[in-house]
Amino acid sequence: MPMKKFINDPKNLTKELLEGYALAYSDKVKLVSEKLVVRAQPKDSNKVGLVTLGGAGHEPALSGFVGQGMLDISVVGDIFAAPAGPKVFEALKLANRPAGVLFVVLNHAGDVMASNIAMQMAKKAGLNVKMILTHEDIAPGANAPATDKRGLVGCIPLYKVAGAAAEQGRSLDEVFAVAEKYNNNMATLAVALKTATHPSSGQSIFDLADDEMEVGMGQHGEAGTGRSKMKTADETADIMLTQLLEAVKAKKGDKVFVMINGAGGTTLMEQYIIMRRVGQILEQKGITLARARVGEFLTVQEMAGFQMHVAKVDDELVKLLDTPCNTPYWGES
Amino acid sequence: METVGYDDVVRMIRAAAAKIHANEKLLSSLDAATGDGDHGTTICKVMDAAVAAASEQAGSISEMLDRVGWEVMCVDGGSAPPLLGSFFTGMAQGATDGGLDLAAAFQGGVKAMREHSQAQIGDKTMMDAVLPAVAACSGDSPSAALRAAADAATRGAEATKNMTAKFGRARNLGDRTIGHQDPGATSVAFMFQGFAEAINERK
Repeated sequence: MPMKKFINDPKNLTKELLEGYALAYSDKVKLVSEKLVVRAQPKDSNKVGLVTLGGAGHEPALSGFVGQGMLDISVVGDIFAAPAGPKVFEALKLANRPAGVLFVVLNHAGDVMASNIAMQMAKKAGLNVKMILTHEDIAPGANAPATDKRGLVGCIPLYKVAGAAAEQGRSLDEVFAVAEKYNNNMATLAVALKTATHPSSGQSIFDLADDEMEVGMGQHGEAGTGRSKMKTADETADIMLTQLLEAVKAKKGDKVFVMINGAGGTTLMEQYIIMRRVGQILEQKGITLARARVGEFLTVQEMAGFQMHVAKVDDELVKLLDTPCNTPYWGES
Repeated sequence: METVGYDDVVRMIRAAAAKIHANEKLLSSLDAATGDGDHGTTICKVMDAAVAAASEQAGSISEMLDRVGWEVMCVDGGSAPPLLGSFFTGMAQGATDGGLDLAAAFQGGVKAMREHSQAQIGDKTMMDAVLPAVAACSGDSPSAALRAAADAATRGAEATKNMTAKFGRARNLGDRTIGHQDPGATSVAFMFQGFAEAINERK
């Protein structure tokens, strides 16, 4: 079956989508050097800068979170592919400032290679950069080595708390500590219902029977652990939340931040129904739902499914989540 | 020592690119089985960048390889550009006053790749072709050494068919990767075949 998407030349997808995005939010972001999305109004150079990288095709991630209070630069690669290392270095150089730069990397092989190249070059050039790797996917098991765990939607609230800390004028070490605290207390699990079409190749990124779902599916169709017959919203939420709460060791009296992130082909209706069940379970367990977000933050084209993200938070992290920001897709705080 | 000169290295890179271009569709279809289906496109971009960099006159072989590696790393496209870029940059280690010592160059290439990949033989990655090729690269002449390397790379790539992916994105498909030849290893085999053909032609 031919691909049914509103595109032009598949070779120009990233370029064209970024041009449209920058045009739509020209008060908040601008496009530099083709693949760098930067803040429209640069942050004061005595405040720590935030840089991230990742492939395109996951809109609004990751560039949707560039703006006052979150990211300074997002380096964008081709569809589902890391940008080149030297391009990432260019972004670090552009963001470099006396206060230093926090560089957030999601654990995916290509992203990590590009980041290591960029960091080697940054070191040679004497830039003040600290890198943090997110790896909160618990599909391979909560205790699997960090190298086996992918970075999923959790990078986005991490940008939020680190970005708010940076805006307060905290030092690079302090901003890193905030990011590290969030990183060490978060977990994400994904579930897929229907595949997506890769917009460059026109091919389906995975196969899943009509009556099946798969828990643990990655954001590029990477296989998960729990393929099963389709379940109800409540059953699915129960399975996922149980594992997530265990992973972040949340117990009675703790506070959590929850995100239900639609993969692109799952309705908000379904996401709210999932959220409702999450709230019920938390209440039963005596865990406080401190804050929540429901909607599309990091998508996989028209894939149906969602990512459930849970972070154990303290008062400091809640305050940083609440601090107003001005980015196209985080929404009102 | 199997040493080749500056012009030989340029010809090796050009021949490798031609070989890979001729097999672009095959490489993409191999990738479609376990990945995005874009490996053929990416690897062609990588080789185009390598050829462009090698075609520009440099002061020495080592300077040329450094530039080739750099330009390859500048290609957008996931893991292949940093891995192959490092390989070319590392090959500069084999540069001597008399030319490029192939065995030392390829060993230097692997060493540089090791900064980014810990994959071993059997993990179903490009290392399944690279490592046997480098180990086999010896003989009475550069052309014999490259022929041995190309044959070893080809066998290594074919062997990936029965392996389960343990690295990169395909790893997540686990046993579902069995029966599919690894596209990265296949590209490397074509690259070494190109290298061998370039030096054979000289004789």
